[in-house]
Amino acid sequence: MKRSHIAIIVTIAVAIGAIMVTINDASTYVGFAKADETPGTKYTVIGYLDKEAPMNYDARANKFEFTAIDKEGKKRTVFYSQPKPQDFERSEEITMKGYSTDSAFVAEEILMKCPSKYNEQNEVAGYGTY
Amino acid sequence: MEYVGEHLLPGQLGRLFVSLAFVGAVVAAIAYYFFIQNKQNSFKKLARVSFLVHVGSVFGIVLTLFYLLLSHYFEYDYVWKHSSMELPFKYVFSAFWEGQEGSFILWLFWHAVLGTILMFTAKKWEAPAMIVFALVQAFLASMILGIYPFGLKIGSSPFVLMRNVPENIGLPWTEVSDYLLRFPGFMDGTGLNPLLQNYWMTIHPPTLFLGFASTLVPFAFAMAALFNKDYKGWVKPAIPWAYFSVLILGVGILMGGAWAYEALSFGGFWAWDPVENSSLVPWIVMVGAAHLLLIVKNRKTGLTSAFFMTLLSFLLILYSTFLTRSGVLGDSSVHAFVDLGLSGQLLIYLLFFIVIAFGMFFYRYKGIPKSKKDDELSSREFWMFIGSLVLLIAAFQIIFSTSIPVINQLIGPEGLVPMMSDQMAPPLDAIDHYNSFQVPFSIVITLLIAFGQFLNYRHTSAKKFWKNISLSILVGAGITALFATAYDFWQEPLYLILLFTGIFATVSNIDYWLRIGRGNMSIGGASIAHVGFAMILIGSLISNAKKEVISETNVFLSEDLPSNENALLELADTVKLGQYMAIWNGMRDEDNKQFYDVTYYNQEADGSLKETFALEPFLQMSDQMGPTPNPSTKHYWDRDIYTHVTYSSYLEPRTDDGYSGEVEAEFNRGDTVIYEQHFIIMDSLQVNATMNEETGEMAFLKLTAKMRVINVLGETYEVAPQYILEGNMLSHEDVLMEQQGFKIRFSDVNTENNKIKITLWTKVPEDEKPFIVMKAIVFPLINLLWAGCILMALGTGIAIWQRVKREK
Repeated sequence: MKRSHIAIIVTIAVAIGAIMVTINDASTYVGFAKADETPGTKYTVIGYLDKEAPMNYDARANKFEFTAIDKEGKKRTVFYSQPKPQDFERSEEITMKGYSTDSAFVAEEILMKCPSKYNEQNEVAGYGTY
Repeated sequence: MEYVGEHLLPGQLGRLFVSLAFVGAVVAAIAYYFFIQNKQNSFKKLARVSFLVHVGSVFGIVLTLFYLLLSHYFEYDYVWKHSSMELPFKYVFSAFWEGQEGSFILWLFWHAVLGTILMFTAKKWEAPAMIVFALVQAFLASMILGIYPFGLKIGSSPFVLMRNVPENIGLPWTEVSDYLLRFPGFMDGTGLNPLLQNYWMTIHPPTLFLGFASTLVPFAFAMAALFNKDYKGWVKPAIPWAYFSVLILGVGILMGGAWAYEALSFGGFWAWDPVENSSLVPWIVMVGAAHLLLIVKNRKTGLTSAFFMTLLSFLLILYSTFLTRSGVLGDSSVHAFVDLGLSGQLLIYLLFFIVIAFGMFFYRYKGIPKSKKDDELSSREFWMFIGSLVLLIAAFQIIFSTSIPVINQLIGPEGLVPMMSDQMAPPLDAIDHYNSFQVPFSIVITLLIAFGQFLNYRHTSAKKFWKNISLSILVGAGITALFATAYDFWQEPLYLILLFTGIFATVSNIDYWLRIGRGNMSIGGASIAHVGFAMILIGSLISNAKKEVISETNVFLSEDLPSNENALLELADTVKLGQYMAIWNGMRDEDNKQFYDVTYYNQEADGSLKETFALEPFLQMSDQMGPTPNPSTKHYWDRDIYTHVTYSSYLEPRTDDGYSGEVEAEFNRGDTVIYEQHFIIMDSLQVNATMNEETGEMAFLKLTAKMRVINVLGETYEVAPQYILEGNMLSHEDVLMEQQGFKIRFSDVNTENNKIKITLWTKVPEDEKPFIVMKAIVFPLINLLWAGCILMALGTGIAIWQRVKREK
């Protein structure tokens, strides 16, 4: 067997290793119920903003607090140690990476999906005559 | 119906150019095919003319779109969405490629330029290589066709009028002939995303797209070689192009990092974002391919791998185009493009080239010459080959992790073939995940870079090798010890090893060029580029692993909350930030930007403060994005102090009479809401209404909410905010509670759920000072990274130049 063939086999082995580790490292999208089962363990939760519940950013503590509803319909208070993201109210969907605690779900990272710009044109024309 | 004020001619011209570009590319491909079949020069002539028509049309598209943008013709959807009247001229370029259509055009443009050069220089490779070029261009042109045969969407045109955009067809305003003059919203565009109003955005996209485009040239040569069954001749002309690609794509990616560092506020130059990854991966593979091509040229071995990686690099460009533009990344990236509904078309584009490239590769596989003999362990080619494999595997790891959303689409619970029970999400700590692989890979790569040049092709005598390299090992170890002590690396073995291999690679390449190679310029390019690459890695390692968030406050709100990485600065107050004392001196409003002037002081031995430097981070205000933080950085030769404002009290909505902290709550009878340590209970709703006898309409409506406010001591206050509607006039009778500092307004009625809306404010204390919340990070030795970028680009450039010169 040629040395280069051995190298290729080792490469493939490392590739398989990388796949296994990645699958292991990858989190799963869960609901708050699942995250609450093991507080402190990190999960990715997709939900949307509960627009009826109050939202509060305490600048002095740099704590943003809001209520999110996950895809299973469960509500949870969420803490986020960053200022309120722009256009947060308009978001259609919020992806939260974080962990559960007794008092709230602590989000370390938040990504939002906002409605596309297309609707703006209708809003723009909307207040003209119609 | 005649519309007023529209300029239809340039749009029609633009669409004509797009169709011509598409047809020109298709005809060129077919004509080249016939030329190969029956060798008639008339076909070659036809093919060349068609391709030139295509090139001319692409230039026409570019000029037309610029014309539309510069003329502010907002009836065009693209112009309306990506520019505005007040957009400075220098950002018109950024507006041009902000959207998907514009960036496709940019890509088409570079392919057209490179294709023309190739057409006149490729000689015997011309016909098959240009078929590949023309096919790629036909696919790209189809992405901006914007036609709808049989209800299918093919491409998205940048020349479509706003009223003809499918989403808008049938809307009432499209029936108004003078809509452009009537609605103020159409008189100006929505403007360019403020994040892109930065000089880096003027140069980064064109460089990156030239980099993307450049990978097509080696790909076309490889395809032509497989087609012609001339497996070796393509290598020589392809090498300079492969290194050109390494150079331009590398610079393009690093410019993206520089932009992120200068203008974005995630605090760093690289975040392993899927969009960044998807341009990095083809570059890594191209670096591997380029080195394999060198082996082939010098030793005639490794041809199969060279073919494979050259083909793969361009295919990865297509794959990353698919990833970033099809919307598949959705939840996992902050800056992927918006889905334009082209995912099907992009997938066909990708699959078409995967099938023909790998189809051709495996069809010809048997014919590709392979060496019988094994490379020696002491030969340069063996370790270059290993290096390429390591690069391939590093690229694979990145692209696999980035592709998790694609895996979900394929085998997730809602995917094509549901095999997994849960949706996979990207790793929670992306940076940790990628680093855990890429740090070991970097160690191997830098080690190979360090000793690779000291090996000869074929065979190296051990004695000579150790004699030559021992100096670099010693010097490298010495410098590493200094750095490790200065930046405290002794506790982290993996980082320490990378620090050593990186420094070893830097030292040995300088040594090889100046001492062994006697400063000969013909080998200098490679050495300089290797030094640059090693410095990039050392710079990233030190600036990332040893960055210090000096604004971090060790105040924990509760045990399980992360510590606060942001410091609060009240106006004119002194706050300690790491080794500095900082004072925020005030805010200046200028051109929709709020500048926050923060001065940093050093504390002298006697306790006095000495001004060291001042920074001006700003918030860019825009209707589109709201306030966007823009950092400001003090550069020292050995470290950067990076600052951005995350929040400021100027952003808080304040009423004219000095109330803030607005909260809106909905009440039904009997509902309780807790606000600022008070219970607020709604008991009943009183309705007073009078009808207009003649019209039967409501003439007067007064709603009174009877509420109780109870404080922590149990003291109860009765309040009754009112909502009054007289004819069309709406007014509120607010309740002011001086002692609590509350203002309570009955603001609205929600007719959907029959609840009433109450807005609450708190009085801002007279003596409250304005404040900002900001983040400050020290990045040590980040300049090594930028210097490394410049050296790598310079070295690669020299190497290409030397090679081209030698060939002549």
